[in-house]
Amino acid sequence: MDEWKPNPTVKPHKKRSWYLAWKFKLMNQRALRKLCQTGAVLFLLVTVIVNIKLILDTRRAAYEEEEESAQDYDDEMLNVEVPRHPVNNKKVLDVEVYSSRSKVYVAVDGTTVLEDEAREQGRGIHVIVLNQATGHVMAKRVFDTYSPHEDEAMVLFLNMVARGRILIFTIKDEGSFHLKETAKNVLKSLGSQVAPFLSWRDMWTFVGKKGGEVYGEKHAKSPALSTWGDPVLLKTEVHLTSVEDAECHWPDTELNRRRKRFCSKVEGYGSVCSCKDPTPIEFNPDPLKDNKVFDVPVAVIAGNRPNYLYRMLRSLLSAQGVNPQMITVFIDGYYEEPMDVVELFGLSGIQHTPISIKNARVSQHYKASLTATFNLFPDAKFAVVLEEDLDISVDFFSFLSQSIHLLEEDESLYCISAWNDQGYEHTAEDPSLLYRVETMPGLGWVLRKSLYKDELEPKWPTPEKLWDWDMWMRMPEQRKGRECIIPDISRSYHFGIVGLNMNGYFHEAYFKKHKFNTVPNVQLKNVESLRKDNYETEIHRLLGEAEVLDHSKNPCEDSFVPDTEGRVYVMFIRMEQEADFTTWTQLAKCLHIWDLDVRGNHKGLWRLFRKKNHFLVVGVPASPYSSKKPPSVTPIYMEPPAKEEGAVAVPAVAAAEQT
Amino acid sequence: MQKINRNVVLALLSLASLIFLLFQLCYYKFYLSQKNGAAFSKVRGSQSGQDSTRWHVVRKFLGLISSHNIPVYLIDPLILGLVDKDIEQIRSSPDGPSSECKYFCAPRDFTTFALLDKTWKHEVGLFRSAEKMGFQWLKIINKDPRLDGMDDLSGVEIPLHYIFKLASHAIHLVVFYERSGNFLWHGPLRLKQRMDRKFVPFRKLHFGRYPGAYEKPELLLVSIDDLKVQIPKNPSSFLDEMSHSRFLECRYREARAFFQMYPDDASLDAVEFRKKGKSLLHLAALTLNNLGVKFWLSSGTCLGWYRQCNVIPHSKDVDLGIFIRDYKADIIPAFQNAGLPLKHKFGKVEDSLELSFQGEDDVKLDIFFFYEEDDHIWNGGTQAKSGKKFKYLFPKFTLCWTEFVELKVHVPCETLQYVEANYGPEWKVPVKMWDWKSSPFNVQDNGVWPIDEWDNVIQIY
Repeated sequence: MDEWKPNPTVKPHKKRSWYLAWKFKLMNQRALRKLCQTGAVLFLLVTVIVNIKLILDTRRAAYEEEEESAQDYDDEMLNVEVPRHPVNNKKVLDVEVYSSRSKVYVAVDGTTVLEDEAREQGRGIHVIVLNQATGHVMAKRVFDTYSPHEDEAMVLFLNMVARGRILIFTIKDEGSFHLKETAKNVLKSLGSQVAPFLSWRDMWTFVGKKGGEVYGEKHAKSPALSTWGDPVLLKTEVHLTSVEDAECHWPDTELNRRRKRFCSKVEGYGSVCSCKDPTPIEFNPDPLKDNKVFDVPVAVIAGNRPNYLYRMLRSLLSAQGVNPQMITVFIDGYYEEPMDVVELFGLSGIQHTPISIKNARVSQHYKASLTATFNLFPDAKFAVVLEEDLDISVDFFSFLSQSIHLLEEDESLYCISAWNDQGYEHTAEDPSLLYRVETMPGLGWVLRKSLYKDELEPKWPTPEKLWDWDMWMRMPEQRKGRECIIPDISRSYHFGIVGLNMNGYFHEAYFKKHKFNTVPNVQLKNVESLRKDNYETEIHRLLGEAEVLDHSKNPCEDSFVPDTEGRVYVMFIRMEQEADFTTWTQLAKCLHIWDLDVRGNHKGLWRLFRKKNHFLVVGVPASPYSSKKPPSVTPIYMEPPAKEEGAVAVPAVAAAEQT
Repeated sequence: MQKINRNVVLALLSLASLIFLLFQLCYYKFYLSQKNGAAFSKVRGSQSGQDSTRWHVVRKFLGLISSHNIPVYLIDPLILGLVDKDIEQIRSSPDGPSSECKYFCAPRDFTTFALLDKTWKHEVGLFRSAEKMGFQWLKIINKDPRLDGMDDLSGVEIPLHYIFKLASHAIHLVVFYERSGNFLWHGPLRLKQRMDRKFVPFRKLHFGRYPGAYEKPELLLVSIDDLKVQIPKNPSSFLDEMSHSRFLECRYREARAFFQMYPDDASLDAVEFRKKGKSLLHLAALTLNNLGVKFWLSSGTCLGWYRQCNVIPHSKDVDLGIFIRDYKADIIPAFQNAGLPLKHKFGKVEDSLELSFQGEDDVKLDIFFFYEEDDHIWNGGTQAKSGKKFKYLFPKFTLCWTEFVELKVHVPCETLQYVEANYGPEWKVPVKMWDWKSSPFNVQDNGVWPIDEWDNVIQIY
């Protein structure tokens, strides 16, 4: 009976043969015992089969479930294969640079990275900065060195570019007229042989590494004053370095990782990318005690002026009481560089597909940004609206924190603005003083959500209307007689020189000398007196104590106001009805303040400072404060210069658009 | 010899069979407990190893997030269910030591926590320390729905879910966002390409199959199983809320396509009506929510939401639906106190009830009561001058949350069927002339009210 050896892994058919053999044995054994044994074996068989089946079943079920589970949670997105750039292991870049009267272009490895053949545009020296390890374009600039001062800007820019970067220069039309010695020397130090001798209408291309080798230079001299040099095309090769060599070795922190990402992509931001001593990108200003605007979202409206945005965000993030989590930057267009700036500071940015053109585009961008802000922060009752070309005062949030309750409680208020249109160096004095004005200055302001959601958003100008959003907001249909609160000394500074309605001359005349508060933690005085009725009491008190100036003198003369300090003076000008600003405009002109349209008035009253004295101007008889005029005084009337009127009217429109 | 052999063989075989049986039992139990999750292990001994794993993972996770100052709260339905049974005791002894691991050791695959987005921003450090502690993690991001309504903004994608896995247990962290309408929203969990589909059994997650809408919870810091953790103050009402939290996003893309075809009415009248309609809806929602009456957007208001994500400017009223089982006699006085006088009342609670309130300047609030039958749902209409009755039939539906004019409101989840039943397949085409007696697709004559009932079922003020 050796074949009876137990074998636990036997197959069923074998068992069957056991069973037969066993059945045969049954004859010689007692039936009961046999039965027991048979039962045991059968039981064993059944157990084995059931077990196997169960294992198979459950395994299949589990498998199916796994399969299904994932399906349920699949993204519905179509299977779009993202085209992946082949990893560029190439060590050499082919660079082509073209310079001519009407066209310039630069191609790197066959990809055009610059092409400008527009007429009447892009004159001067075009500069492109490439990353020496990747070959990516890090900066593109054009300096119109035909015009004055542009060469200084170019020198400034070239000095900011890190050592080792690849620089490409090309001239379009004319680039030498105002290219001074300093600039020529800088170009020479980069290795250019021709730069020191560049002259009128020469064509020139140059490729070199900052602080290193020269890859190529071509030049075509202009044969005569009236003609241009022949077009030149420079073809050369640039050897790439390794990524490690192109990067700085900052300690590995979260901040430095952001810095690294930024600095490997763009150029022209100076010390933020300095290897040795980089300027901080986190500022940690002192928190504000009892900050009432900590939870107020801040919308920064931006276009494609990344250097402005960089400066603006630095000042914003340095202001006391700032809450970076509430800041959103809205970029009008799919521009990369502004987004890089936003990411450098660890803020969130949103890009906006441009809709419409010119001012309507700005207006649509404002609308989308404001709507998005209130969507993202549904709890917010207010939003702070800033633009990319503003410096923000260190006490900006402190100023808002002290005044925001007025906007919440006083229905007669339209906004709080950080900007005083009439607050110039010579007309603003008191950082703790606030005014109520009938005009909306913008340039850093607070918007009430209910005003936006209930009134402005539903009837915001549609894309086909070429209106300025701010002019629209100033219209009586929208403003409905409400006023804005402004400080005497502005809490924002408008530094933008290039813009839709902005140029250097205009900026110099109207914005450069604006006063900007730099004192931290200013305690505002009499905030309660800014409420609608309290303000009238306050004005009456002021007019009551004010000394009437000598109306026989010329108000434009400095001697009109006595050489005192800290006094209150009042003068009366002629103002036949509410909209008669003839005399005011002339006065504003000679005082060198904003005269392009009427700003800063409250019921025919203007408040400013002259020689450190508070100086009030009342329009008689339109202003309700006319009653304060002593009967003996004749209001001053100033006639507009007859001829100039037409000339003034035109810029008035253009200028008013901007602010 | 032969006898001994046979006995030995039989004994061996029986032993093997017993082992098989035992194995089978274990396997079966293991499989079952995985599937149902809730089932408690009866043989505690064999499971204790895994129990403490769960507790340890939760403890590690809580340590991780508290070291990064991230305020999370527990929303795991299974644990909250257990906690709810002992809520009084837990509340009264917030620091009481517990002898046994009662909650966090309960068998399950996940422990779910919630995180309010606005309380947290800097995430990089968290994941590094998580990895150091041995966690594997998965982040699920998607479009920001708060910017979805605006076609021309490219919002950044936002994190919706995180999963932290350690050993055999995983932590599911659901990110909640505040939405207009003063509520919290969490997104659906959708795996993108190249994501590890087997990272965890996603199907067993309690959150993420659909997006969800929740009220902002009040939180309570408790100590359970020796772990300090925040939980919703009232777990049972949270669990109740969870069971019908499904959220539907408005169909912004289709709405844009609609406006391409039928440009929006931007006239002053339209702006004014929208404003009034919105404020009336806000007032109605406030009144009904205070009463605890569940309602949904019906008829034209529902169509406006579904088709154009806005109030239809040429509809002259706001329409709401309420199940008749939710009817309360206080509804009429509550609206009157809110400054909305009753304009007319048709029908009676047993049949075809319909209320109409007068909002400011001719904007009307119509409330239709819906009656549930076995295979359909209907509401009634009454013509005042003839006493004629009408019946509007709808296929059965359930309710979902949505966001509409800065309000969290219900709409039928099966919105398309609902709208199609009411307006027919041509619902996409705007119709300015609308007759409630003949225009609806699903209207049926339903006889006439008996004359003697007219005083009761036709009341006009």
